[in-house]
Amino acid sequence: MKQKYDVIVVGSGITGGWAAKEFCEKGYNTLVIERGRHVEHGGEEYTDMQAPWDIENRNKVPEIFDEQGRYQTINDKGYFKNATKQFFADDKEHPISYPDDKPVRWVRSYQLGGRSVTWGRQVLRWGPKDFIANAKDGHGIPWPIGYDDLAPWYDYVERFIGVSANRDGLDVLPDGVFQKPWEMSCAEQYIAKNIAKHYDDRRLIIGRAANITEPTPEQMALGRAPCQARSYCKRGCTFGAYFSSLSATLPAAKRTGKLTIVTDAVVESILYDNKQQRVTGVNIVDTNTKQTRQYHARTVFLCASAFASVQILLNSTSEHFPNGLANSSGMLGHYIMDHFSGVVAHAEVPGYEDKFAYGRRPIATYIPNYRHEKLADANFVRGYGYQATAQHRRNTGTHAKKAGIGAAVKDASMQPQPWRFLAIMYGEMLPYFSNRISLHPNKKDQWGIPLLHVDAEIHENERNMIKRASLDIVEMLNTAGCTDIKVNQVPDDEHIQIGDRIHEMGGACMGADPKTSVLNKWAQSHDVPNLFVTDGACMSSCATQNPSLTYMAITARAVDYADKLLKQGVI
Amino acid sequence: MSHLTISRRVFIGSIAYLVTAPTLAFVPFAKVSDSALPVTTDGQFFTASELTILADIAEFMIPKTVTPGATDAHVIAVLDAMMLTWASTKTQTQFRQLIKQIQLLSSDTLGASYAKQPLEQRSKFIAELDKQAFQHPDTQISMHYRKFKDIVFHIYYTSKEANPDYQLIPGTYKGCVSADELSNKGQTL
Repeated sequence: MKQKYDVIVVGSGITGGWAAKEFCEKGYNTLVIERGRHVEHGGEEYTDMQAPWDIENRNKVPEIFDEQGRYQTINDKGYFKNATKQFFADDKEHPISYPDDKPVRWVRSYQLGGRSVTWGRQVLRWGPKDFIANAKDGHGIPWPIGYDDLAPWYDYVERFIGVSANRDGLDVLPDGVFQKPWEMSCAEQYIAKNIAKHYDDRRLIIGRAANITEPTPEQMALGRAPCQARSYCKRGCTFGAYFSSLSATLPAAKRTGKLTIVTDAVVESILYDNKQQRVTGVNIVDTNTKQTRQYHARTVFLCASAFASVQILLNSTSEHFPNGLANSSGMLGHYIMDHFSGVVAHAEVPGYEDKFAYGRRPIATYIPNYRHEKLADANFVRGYGYQATAQHRRNTGTHAKKAGIGAAVKDASMQPQPWRFLAIMYGEMLPYFSNRISLHPNKKDQWGIPLLHVDAEIHENERNMIKRASLDIVEMLNTAGCTDIKVNQVPDDEHIQIGDRIHEMGGACMGADPKTSVLNKWAQSHDVPNLFVTDGACMSSCATQNPSLTYMAITARAVDYADKLLKQGVI
Repeated sequence: MSHLTISRRVFIGSIAYLVTAPTLAFVPFAKVSDSALPVTTDGQFFTASELTILADIAEFMIPKTVTPGATDAHVIAVLDAMMLTWASTKTQTQFRQLIKQIQLLSSDTLGASYAKQPLEQRSKFIAELDKQAFQHPDTQISMHYRKFKDIVFHIYYTSKEANPDYQLIPGTYKGCVSADELSNKGQTL
């Protein structure tokens, strides 16, 4: 039997959830297809209500994973713990391909809700300068939209998800619809004050978090409650305080009665009708039975994540599109990007020895990009910002990894130390044509789908940024009155993994010209009018801000446009 | 407390169980005679005698003071369970080898099995073992010991007993409070 829907949304993560909500609320029968398993919001996979001593293995990941070579690309990451491991995909089970000298870290979450369950929740608008950067310096494909096109959709999205933030009045980081911000620690306030005093172009601000502090009636109706300052977000949030597909968009879609969710189904390819020049549905592989089946719809929204959506398009070949669906430009798979971090600095903040912090704030502080304009000291284009924190005082730690035992050692452990400020550079990687993803010519995954091959690296522009970012942060910390400044800078000859920041973007870039871009200004395929790609794949540049808020705004805007086309019978 | 030394030769020699000479016979034994408190029941992974030794060592590492010690925090009982759910076969082997190495080292250094040594001797022995383990990190016994120490400390510092003021749900974040205000609210680290 033909299973026909108005819309198929591929992926249930941050953009898939949004597409589902918007279409369902507009009255469309919507099918969401998720490759991972079903996860119940607040269900037994959430571990956020467990105290440290209640977590299995005291939050240590079983060592057998290492013995079996599982989770090797993320086993060294702080976010990968026993309490969170269920929300991350095993790279051994789900391999990708890359050149030996350019390893890639593709962090994935294969469950309902996707990476919206584990994301960093930093929601930063892009500014007007970010959208004109490609056109200005000639790298990548010029954006077909500007800030003004997206501004009302930022408002729309922020109102629903809930953003706790301060109105900072910065052109580079426009303010939006905010709830009460988190407060800075005294050490952070000290640095913020001194930076503001000495620089016209630099600010340290509190992060903008998708953790609600003043829930609206709409949010409460979905069962969401204020953030309780636990910072256990990556374990799932029983309070629904941080925004995820599970806590917000999927429940909103579900209550319309228009939503169908199919989990455990990998989209292998998109069905294309050569005659009608339209997509008609998708082929899926059931991950449990390995059987294939099809679903049909009038419109397909790809929201599977940047790399995965491009993989599906590349694997959807036809007489009309022998090199991948919607790829008449030949640009599909090119211009992939990620943020990169080559500098980590930390320094002591003098004073406040009698002050402490209480609670676990769910967000860091932020120094927005102040290098949109090329300054005299810059041998690069674009810029960088810093994600930073001094939310708690450090302590002396323990002697677990150093000599010393006994009462004296115990008494000296975990004692308060001076405040220290930590700053991590987030740089804007240029969109390079040579950075691309493709399908492996002969290796396939367990479902018979060609492996994704990622060949990407940072270049001289990014290396030069790292050097300058290192000098800048030392100068800023000195100026701010910090002492004992330490900087770790990635050497020039050390490869920086694409995907390490988990902000993969590009591969199906938006642009005005169908000859040089895959998608138009609505994130709609130039070639196939009833096909949209609204996840990170559509991004034409990556700016320095965390990108999820922009994906969500692009998705909501694209659905609004598709709705008009559907009503007009155009698609 | 008199000083106790495990010679480098003996320490390193314990790798292959080749230690033969009791090198510390000159060390005067303490008068205290309370041997390690025996565990009488086998655990899920370790035997009762193994648990006796590990629990004793863990308490020397993190003794009860005005705050709970490793025993109070059930560190070795938790570790025993984790040996089946967390530890790899390599770690399981390492910890069993460590017990044997400690026994051997104790026999060669002090002339008797570890558990039967008086408290003060055991205390000095473990303190010296700790020192040597970090001085000779490439030796097998050091690797085993340091891994054991690391997990003992981890279990202890994630225990309820070691975190009496822990707040699962702080409810708010305050970035600039006094020590008094903090103690009224409870710690959240």
